[in-house]
Amino acid sequence: MKQNFSLFILACCYAFTSFAQESYTLSGTITDASSNETLIGVNVLIPSLNTGVVTNEYGFYSLKVPEGTYDLVISYLGFQTITERITISSQTNLNFKLKESSEFLDEIVISQRSDGLNIKKPEMSLNKLSINTIQKMPVIFGEVDVIKSLLMLPGVSNAGEGSSGFNVRGGAVDQNLILLDEATIYNSSHLFGFFSVFNPDAIKDLKLYKGGIPAKYGGRVSSVLDIYQRDGNSREFKMQGGIGAISSRLLAEGPIVKDKGSFLIAGRSSYAHLFLKFTDNENSAYFYDLNTKLSYRLDDKNKLLFSGYFGRDVFSLSRNFKNTYGNTVLNLRWNHIFSDNIFSNLSVIYSDYYYGLTLGFVGFNWDSGIKNLNLKYDFDHYLNDTFQLKYGLQNTYYDFNPGEIEPIDETSGINYFKLNNKYALESAVYFSAEHNISEKLSAEYGLRYSGFYRIGRDELSIYENDSPVVYNEDRDIYEEAEPIGTQTYESGKIISSFGNFEPRFSIAYSFNDNQSIKASYNRMAQYLHLISNTSSPTPLDVWTPSGPFIDPQILDQYAFGYFRNFQDGIYSLETETFYKKIKNRIDYVNGANLIANNNIERVILNGKSRAYGLEVLFRKNEGRFTGWLAYTLSRAEQKTPGRTPVETGINGGDWYKSNYDKTHDVSITASYEASKKWEFNANFSFQTGLPSTFPTAQYSYENITVPVYAPRNSNRLPAYHRLDLSANYNPKISSEKDFRSSWSFGIYNVYNRKNAYSLTFRENSDTGVNEAVRLSLFGIIPSVTYNFSF
Amino acid sequence: MLLKIFGLFLIFTGTSCEDVVDIPLDESEPRLVVEASILSYKESESNIQQIRLTESAPFYDEEIPPVENASVKIISETGLEYDFIHTSEGYYINENLNPILRETYELQIIYNDEVYTATETMMGVTDIDFIEQTATGGFAGDEIEVKVFYTDPGNEPNYYLFIFRNKKITLEIYEDKFTDGNQIFGYYSNEDIQPGDNIAVEMYGISKSYYEYLFILRAQIGENSGGPFETQPATVKGNVINRSNKENYPFGYFHLSEVDTSTYIVE
Repeated sequence: MKQNFSLFILACCYAFTSFAQESYTLSGTITDASSNETLIGVNVLIPSLNTGVVTNEYGFYSLKVPEGTYDLVISYLGFQTITERITISSQTNLNFKLKESSEFLDEIVISQRSDGLNIKKPEMSLNKLSINTIQKMPVIFGEVDVIKSLLMLPGVSNAGEGSSGFNVRGGAVDQNLILLDEATIYNSSHLFGFFSVFNPDAIKDLKLYKGGIPAKYGGRVSSVLDIYQRDGNSREFKMQGGIGAISSRLLAEGPIVKDKGSFLIAGRSSYAHLFLKFTDNENSAYFYDLNTKLSYRLDDKNKLLFSGYFGRDVFSLSRNFKNTYGNTVLNLRWNHIFSDNIFSNLSVIYSDYYYGLTLGFVGFNWDSGIKNLNLKYDFDHYLNDTFQLKYGLQNTYYDFNPGEIEPIDETSGINYFKLNNKYALESAVYFSAEHNISEKLSAEYGLRYSGFYRIGRDELSIYENDSPVVYNEDRDIYEEAEPIGTQTYESGKIISSFGNFEPRFSIAYSFNDNQSIKASYNRMAQYLHLISNTSSPTPLDVWTPSGPFIDPQILDQYAFGYFRNFQDGIYSLETETFYKKIKNRIDYVNGANLIANNNIERVILNGKSRAYGLEVLFRKNEGRFTGWLAYTLSRAEQKTPGRTPVETGINGGDWYKSNYDKTHDVSITASYEASKKWEFNANFSFQTGLPSTFPTAQYSYENITVPVYAPRNSNRLPAYHRLDLSANYNPKISSEKDFRSSWSFGIYNVYNRKNAYSLTFRENSDTGVNEAVRLSLFGIIPSVTYNFSF
Repeated sequence: MLLKIFGLFLIFTGTSCEDVVDIPLDESEPRLVVEASILSYKESESNIQQIRLTESAPFYDEEIPPVENASVKIISETGLEYDFIHTSEGYYINENLNPILRETYELQIIYNDEVYTATETMMGVTDIDFIEQTATGGFAGDEIEVKVFYTDPGNEPNYYLFIFRNKKITLEIYEDKFTDGNQIFGYYSNEDIQPGDNIAVEMYGISKSYYEYLFILRAQIGENSGGPFETQPATVKGNVINRSNKENYPFGYFHLSEVDTSTYIVE
């Protein structure tokens, strides 16, 4: 910790001493010529100086350049490269508009790639997927899905086909920070996890940080999925949409004031009766979401952006059952450029997750949710060509509603019951430096300090010896302690507070332009916990803040990697190994009832988790045939020991495999452009079967067969493998270029493998014989999707 | 519950399928299983009590081995001893035990030279008020549902076990956390209920710890186990303790309950 800090001071000194040259700032914004959409991650290079920078999340770049005349090269995948001779004799502002390469070249997408920077940059454990790649991949029911596409990358997996969310390097689903236009998304799934909440049409860019996570990000320990929505076309009005097997999409965008302001509105809805009308009653199951964006450039230095997201899932089965859940996000941002080399973004974000359930036959309504208000101020400071600083502060206020039960009508036997709302404040300051120490050595280092405050109003139980869980030694079980009193905290009073320094460090050493090694370390703290004792989270699970009985999760991750480009970047190889450990990972005592539990502390124990592995990603980046092979060898485990020597903890206090642990995970994604009209894609994945727990014996109790289970997750389901194919057809573009359409044909699980989703060991109710029953979710599923734009 | 909704979705999209597969299993050492339910029926003067002892067996076995050579007795708070005599198939009988409400009893078993004990308190139960039937039950709202109404005594925690005996046996357990002092119902609904079915209903008053035991047990049986939206399987440990060898813990439970019964013929 201290060492890191002094290293930083040293580095700063170095940076400032090299400042004395006669140089000027060259800065500007890079946009897509056809829409004025800002472009993220564009390479801006001055080859003769061997210097360069990439545009930030808002398309901004800034470079310190000595006086003189240079060739400036601006390149971006899928766009024509611009090379321009520029003369720098003063502060210079240059904005560039890039033209899509495919529109103008007869060749099929053979774009110049300048990925050299990736070799040299210290960023590692980072996956970028372009929305184009995502849209090509074959997917179930033909529904393009951001999160399902991520699963094809190394180090990313999930707990089975229908499970929600994703797991990164052995981390849990609730340990992923999912940001949509900088706002936190609490539940990324529609329909329990079949689909993700992101409308692919509205997305511009996404990055997944699996390790080496910059200091800018915090609050979750496993990964950061940073998604940016498109701003909308400020040149002309455009529409696009699609009709698929499950849902339809429509997007409209256009200028508010030409070249200055734009709007984008995108809607997506599944068909209202995914459940067939199987009875005379009203049944429906559907989801929808709405993305909106307004952007307005006030002048060269100021821009306002407003984004909104609203999504809901609704299940309704007669009057007896109704379930609604979803996210709402509102976000107002102000981009301001100070003195050409300081870019700032101020965000005010409101985000809300709601879950509602009506059980008519029991007679109650249930509501729960989490709301937060987030204020962020982030700065990108381009000091000189070897040193870039990022710093900022973040403040989030949380209001948790763990649950409220209301009788459905006056005949209901249910009493009104409300769990205490919980309130908290999370604050962080950070700085992060990107530092090219020498031609071959570059580093990114930073420090984040995060503080978390549980605040009143709240009423908390007091327990004997401060111990809400009691171990019954005779029976070897954990029981809930009876509170011996309560303590009330008035509104605004601090109940408990936590603070953590989170150092981040990564370094890259490049042997040459095509080969480098990189290493990283990051420590992160997570103050929110998703309370879930099912194998995969459900929408009903409730987020709960750290507090008197729950400590924040703390992660340390180390990663080391070797990176190589072959044949000028046509092929690339990324290999990484990682080790991470997390403390204060909560686990649940057997029989923990988490729903409507006002004293969650009485059913949880404090444990830890660890994960380690090797990831290999081999890509072919260019040509008619592109794709990648990803392989992950890993282990993810959890352990909850007893608190004293007599206690046995959970699973005997031994390490056990996480629910999403897969020893081997191989994914192959391939795409072949046969002609301008036809494109073929294939995915193949092979995974070690998921951990499961099988019985080792049975007994009879009250004439019911009860299985006796082996230690937790000591067995595995059969191996999982699947092949998917798709073909995309783009009919010839007519002379009138305005209307375009395309067809996408897909086959999911081509060879119809019955992959086990679960194995259930039960007594056959007709024969009375015990048997193992395999549930497989998806057999072969063909799909057709029609897309259009004009 | 979630799995059921989820299952419905899949069935109606026609993509999922269930089949029986051959999975070889490891086998664990047999353990003693105690089914000691000491009951006091509201409408009956009978004092015949029965305890069943068996052993756990490999999962695919069709027979459960009975335990026939154990010595079994129950001792009351006041020191009265009730010996249980083996009759057949692991059933042990005593004809004189009429448990008294709120009194504590101890069960003692000696089997294979090891001593097992358990302690529990006799729990009372309120009366069944009436039974009602509608045809709008289940998640889909098209199943016959049977509601067994009772009035929960207010201002005290109460726990209930309902056993519905039809073609299959169904256990339902309730606590009064959200229904304290109200008239509420035990709920029985599934797709197999047919008009003319004769359903035997038993309502037991149970202790909090037996409720918690059954809560875990229920999560391990039948269709409630397996799958991402279900809780992790676990060993269900009861209140019978092996005093001689802790490692060789038994399964099962010793409880004493007052029971109200009724029968209902489905219309």
